[in-house]
Amino acid sequence: MTEGPTSATTASTAATAADGAKSGRIVVDGHPIPFEPGDSVAIAMLRAGETPGSGGTLCLAGDCGNCLVQVDGVAYVRSCQASPRPGLVVERHPPVDMPPLPVVTDPDLGVPPPGRVVAVRRIETDLVVIGGGSSGKAARARAKRAGRDVVLLDAAAGDEVVAIYGGPMVVVRTPSGMLHVGARQIVVATGAAEIHPVSPGNELAGLLTARAAERLHAAGLDLGTTVAVGTPPKGSRYEIVSGRLVRFEGDQSRRVRAVVTADEAGEETTTLCQTVVLGLGRAPRDMLARMAGDAPVSVVGSAARDIPLPPPPTEGVVCPCSGTTVEDLEGAWDRGFQELELIKRATLAGVGTCQGGACLPHLRSWIAARTDAVPEPFTARPASRQITLAEASAGTYIDAFRRTSLHDEHLALGGRMDRFGGWWRPWHYGDHVAEYWAVREAVSLGDVSTLGKLVVSGPDVVEFLERLYPCNVVDIKAGRSRYALLLNERGHVIDDGMILRDGETRFVLSFTSGGAANAEMWVRDWIETWGLQVHVLDQTMSLAAINVTGPLARLLLQRAGLADPPRFLGHVHADVAGVPCHVMRLSFTGEAAFELHHPINGSVELWRALMELGQDLGIRPHGLKALFGLRLEKGHVIVGMDSEMDSTPRRLGMDWAVRMEKPFFIGKPALARTAPLPDHRRLFGFTMPGDAPTEGSPISSGGEIVGHVTGSWASPLLGHAVMLGWLKRTPFPERVEIDGREAVVASTPFYDPEGLRARA
Amino acid sequence: MRALEPLHGLRVVADPAALDRVSWRGDLDVTVLRVAPDEAFAIGARSVEIDDTYAIVEEEAGFVGAWLTAEEFEASILPRIEWPLPEERPSIAQGSIAGVPSKLWLRTTGGALLVTQAAYADELAGRLR
Repeated sequence: MTEGPTSATTASTAATAADGAKSGRIVVDGHPIPFEPGDSVAIAMLRAGETPGSGGTLCLAGDCGNCLVQVDGVAYVRSCQASPRPGLVVERHPPVDMPPLPVVTDPDLGVPPPGRVVAVRRIETDLVVIGGGSSGKAARARAKRAGRDVVLLDAAAGDEVVAIYGGPMVVVRTPSGMLHVGARQIVVATGAAEIHPVSPGNELAGLLTARAAERLHAAGLDLGTTVAVGTPPKGSRYEIVSGRLVRFEGDQSRRVRAVVTADEAGEETTTLCQTVVLGLGRAPRDMLARMAGDAPVSVVGSAARDIPLPPPPTEGVVCPCSGTTVEDLEGAWDRGFQELELIKRATLAGVGTCQGGACLPHLRSWIAARTDAVPEPFTARPASRQITLAEASAGTYIDAFRRTSLHDEHLALGGRMDRFGGWWRPWHYGDHVAEYWAVREAVSLGDVSTLGKLVVSGPDVVEFLERLYPCNVVDIKAGRSRYALLLNERGHVIDDGMILRDGETRFVLSFTSGGAANAEMWVRDWIETWGLQVHVLDQTMSLAAINVTGPLARLLLQRAGLADPPRFLGHVHADVAGVPCHVMRLSFTGEAAFELHHPINGSVELWRALMELGQDLGIRPHGLKALFGLRLEKGHVIVGMDSEMDSTPRRLGMDWAVRMEKPFFIGKPALARTAPLPDHRRLFGFTMPGDAPTEGSPISSGGEIVGHVTGSWASPLLGHAVMLGWLKRTPFPERVEIDGREAVVASTPFYDPEGLRARA
Repeated sequence: MRALEPLHGLRVVADPAALDRVSWRGDLDVTVLRVAPDEAFAIGARSVEIDDTYAIVEEEAGFVGAWLTAEEFEASILPRIEWPLPEERPSIAQGSIAGVPSKLWLRTTGGALLVTQAAYADELAGRLR
């Protein structure tokens, strides 16, 4: 297949219909049928008297969708392009409806279902020639003479081009897997396809295009009593039926028994037959060229010719894939869909298996007859062929989700892991309510390794942080910390976290798990923009963090060797259970909480030591489900979950975190400009009796939807549901309906509003 | 594919000129990955002398890696890279390998040190299997 300037032969890696197995038997719908050397599956079936597909004109050239079967469990395979081999299992599609989808039996969405992995190769070349006919070979020869690297892709040799993307890149399906070819230039030499008939009865079996008939004749098949309509194959011995094609007539087995034609006077003639060969002309096979967009593609040979369109159809199925009839076209036209692209969308003509290969010439002709202008062909998009999901995804990867150094500990404790903020995190350990009570009444461990962690240092670091954050930074003393919002230039909250001062010119910044990557880029961009001397080290994945929280957290840490844990918003560097930690005192749960940031190679040791030391204290780990409930009781906002893209501190009720008296910070001009303006959106707290409604539930007032719930939790401690949610209509109502029940707007925090427990 | 093993060393962020003149001390064989003009990861290093008051120097245990022979590199890694590698050797290259953020220390021998964050270790190992 790949051919450089000095190579002498064209060598495809593909095993093809033409050079497949010598002979043998395949299994069609449970019955064995023989095949001969050189047969495709379609020809083997026809040889055995079976109809591939469920009827319609066969082209045996891969242009239409009339010979689709399921091969070894893969549906929508063109049997004319499939090579038989002994034991190959072929099942015909149902005559109506679609073949059944494969059943996924594994219900665990956290585990990818087993699937076939398709290999992918990538190569680069100067020129890709698509099509192995005379035009393609000539293009290849010219390029070789010019000393260029050439790859010739010939469907007949098993290399099916399924897409051309920008780059350009040509995606090829080969029997040995997918091939991605990067090329500087592409030549499309895909020839022309034969026109399919549009007339009543064109869905019957026994109809062949001229070239298909030639192919079957060469394969030695007996086609029975055969007549030809239009231009018959050269040298054929078929009876030629003259006149205009009117319809095909079938027998009870849905096979053609006669063709009816009419002369110029309209006089009809019925000719009995078992096979009709149709020589109705050709249309450029230019789908790939139309798919190429701005890629450097040239079209040569028959694919580039301006071939006359067939006469406009008047009756019958136009698009065999979708079953669209001329009557359907007329209905769409009368409803105002009077352009080709609109007709396509309104009737689904051209969106099926062959992507317009059979119907496009007829559609253009039909529209041209109504508008006196021939429309351009509709846009072609990948893929031109039905490919499996495994083939489509070959060489691509889903997002990689990270694992904390405690991943296996969570699994060992029965943690139900889920993806959150780019990480695998424990959602719960089997009993989220017990986890909640451990935090509220005893002590609990949470894995917060996923938080963003940056170290910043430099002579300009204070100046930088003052510009970056809307809170004061200069007055944070070493060993102290402050909560901070991160705003963009429009004053919208893009993240939040802590600022911890380590020394005169050194700080540690924390960010949300999901926002850490963007925050890092944000920090680096502004340092560069302002030309400040600040170094940045991202330790997000280098350090793990365990949150020790609950009224007994302090006691647990003392047992672990931290004699004097820091007071609220303080932080120290100290060993805990022998592991060097940066201990930060803050709280997201509403209870006393200490985050132990430490090198990841000490995580398991630290976690196990704390769990062991806390056994008699009722220690339990808590997952995200409990954590989200705990924070809701405190009314803590999670940026990205509760906030929206344009949430200002005012809308979130967090003006207290903004110091407008500062000379400058990112977002200040926008906040100053919008402060006097009325606002119609605000995040509120809500309470109501009973169960918590689903997050995302609409909030109604006076019969109108006025907002939605962002977070909800049935508080075991408070005995009712607590929520955060948006109200987006003013005046803001005090009573609303959520989930069909009355809820009231309530101030937050719902729990320990003075914050005494967190500071205890 | 070889197992990804923890890589220990020092990570330093400092003035680029100071990093150019840095003096590493540590195991016999310190491999320095200059991942950015102002950042280096010195595998095997235990201490460093650097002429930058504000330099951030941290012990680093958050990476894993595998030393690959030329044959292993060509068989396991190259087919899973969709971006051009630098031609210079030795050199550092950074990008997705099998869709996972990774780094390569490309050696003159044709072999390479494959490096990724420990948080990605299982994911990368699974995809290279």
